Amino acid sequence: MSTIAPKFRLGYFIKSLLDNIFWIIILLTLIGIPAIQVALFFIDLPVIDGELLTPFLALTWLADPSRTLPIVKTLMQTDFFKIAVFPGFGFAALLAAGTIFIERKLLAKLQLRVGPFYCGKIEGILQLMGDGLKLISKEIIIPAKADKPIFWVAPLLFVGTAAAFIALIPVSPGWVIADLDVGLLAFFAIIGFFPIITVLSSWSANSKFPFIGGIRALHQMVSFEIPLILSLLGIVILTGSLNLSEIVESQYNFPWIIFMPIGAIVFFIAMLAELERIPFDLPEAESEIVAGWLTEFSGMMYGLVQLGSYLKLYAFAALFVVLFLGGWNGPMIIPQFPQEIITDGIELGPISVTIPGLPLFTPEMLNGTFWFTIKTVSVIFFILIPRGVFPRIRIDLLLHIGWYKLIGLAFVNIFISLSLLYAGVLGPGGMML
Amino acid sequence: MLAALVGEIVNDYSNILMMFGFAIIATAPALLLSKMISPKRRNNPVKFLPMECGQVPKGEGRTHFMMQYYAYVLMFVVFDVMAIFLYSWGSTILNLERTATLPIIIFLGIMFAAMAFALYQSKRRNIW
Repeated sequence: MSTIAPKFRLGYFIKSLLDNIFWIIILLTLIGIPAIQVALFFIDLPVIDGELLTPFLALTWLADPSRTLPIVKTLMQTDFFKIAVFPGFGFAALLAAGTIFIERKLLAKLQLRVGPFYCGKIEGILQLMGDGLKLISKEIIIPAKADKPIFWVAPLLFVGTAAAFIALIPVSPGWVIADLDVGLLAFFAIIGFFPIITVLSSWSANSKFPFIGGIRALHQMVSFEIPLILSLLGIVILTGSLNLSEIVESQYNFPWIIFMPIGAIVFFIAMLAELERIPFDLPEAESEIVAGWLTEFSGMMYGLVQLGSYLKLYAFAALFVVLFLGGWNGPMIIPQFPQEIITDGIELGPISVTIPGLPLFTPEMLNGTFWFTIKTVSVIFFILIPRGVFPRIRIDLLLHIGWYKLIGLAFVNIFISLSLLYAGVLGPGGMML
Repeated sequence: MLAALVGEIVNDYSNILMMFGFAIIATAPALLLSKMISPKRRNNPVKFLPMECGQVPKGEGRTHFMMQYYAYVLMFVVFDVMAIFLYSWGSTILNLERTATLPIIIFLGIMFAAMAFALYQSKRRNIW
């Protein structure tokens, strides 16, 4: 309430709004439009469908869909669209937001509560938006002795690293942001950054609880990084490739979880530990060390860390799908579009507008995305369930599980895949090409 | 030729960096907006103390404490590198001769024995 003027009058408010609109119009016409027109001389505009893309025709695009569609299609092939919208940030943030809501409702049902209920008419569906508004309007309090620059940057780095992880995930044939030859190694490289960010933020907070949480995150990484890496070696042996798209294509007939269930279980447990989810949520154990490494984060900084951790959850679930559950492969359920829609277009409305070239996506892409999303959501469900079921693990047991049991199981998995390869069941000459 | 090849490779990796940068550019305004609209009043030194559940904090925030993890950290440095070495073997195994697997199995045996010994040593708390 502090920033809203104490002597609030609706008339003044409307006057200030009108003032702002007036000045925006004046500045836009006097400076903005000439500046854009001058800048356009120096920009090479692309040629789309034999026509130069001229921003001066923007109103024509609005009126005529048949001129807009080629532009939209070209836009969808650019890197920016991939990064910002579909396989990238927008898609992941949408799934992450859904995950947060589903998690709260699911936990509430498991614990015989109601969960979010009042925000929005239906079952508290606007709760997330309300929480976001609440977090953004809260004051950010930083401890006086903290290293301020690092402390401010840490949540942003966390979100950025989680997003960089998402860049590796192939969602549908050809729909991947960074199709690296060494995608799996890039994945190991990126997850190595998370404990560093945790330790940086907890060290810079200069407070005891965050520091304990950060050290715990680091030691959890020490316990679970090696099983995580070794559990995926079996797939690489049988596929002969580190490229994630090729790994998905190799699972055309059967997912790898059929032949390597042990590897899948080891990867799943190590994944829970890397995500700091409940059996392994020692770094933010809220009943022992207030909120662990998140203790000193307040307001929107906490919100950003939460966004980052749910993006990371989506990315890990998607990686599990890509590696073990066959990624985008699945039975074709989207029918082929009739040929006359693509050439002649759909007739719309009472005045029968015909719009040719309408299906913006191929059926293969839609089908792949459908199966990928279904599988990812079910893996996310299995990641969420332990939070309502299991207690927190003790720190020496965590070490014991990581070093004694999971590494042994990961080696068993490697030998299973080697024997499958040399027995001729899989690999060249076997069931797989 | 080489420059074009390097450019192609860099292009793939630059997408990861662009994604990193996009996420930061897309979420940093939330912090700025929060800074602009959030209330700031009643500043007192107690408000900016580190959180210690209502107690007045004593001593340094960055303390030393023993986690009994030192042996495992040493092992981690060795076995992490070993795991990545195994990847360079695993990704080319379809092109290698079958006899090439035996040395790797021996390597794995040596590493496994070393790890068992290290784990046995790490239990002896009195030497750390």
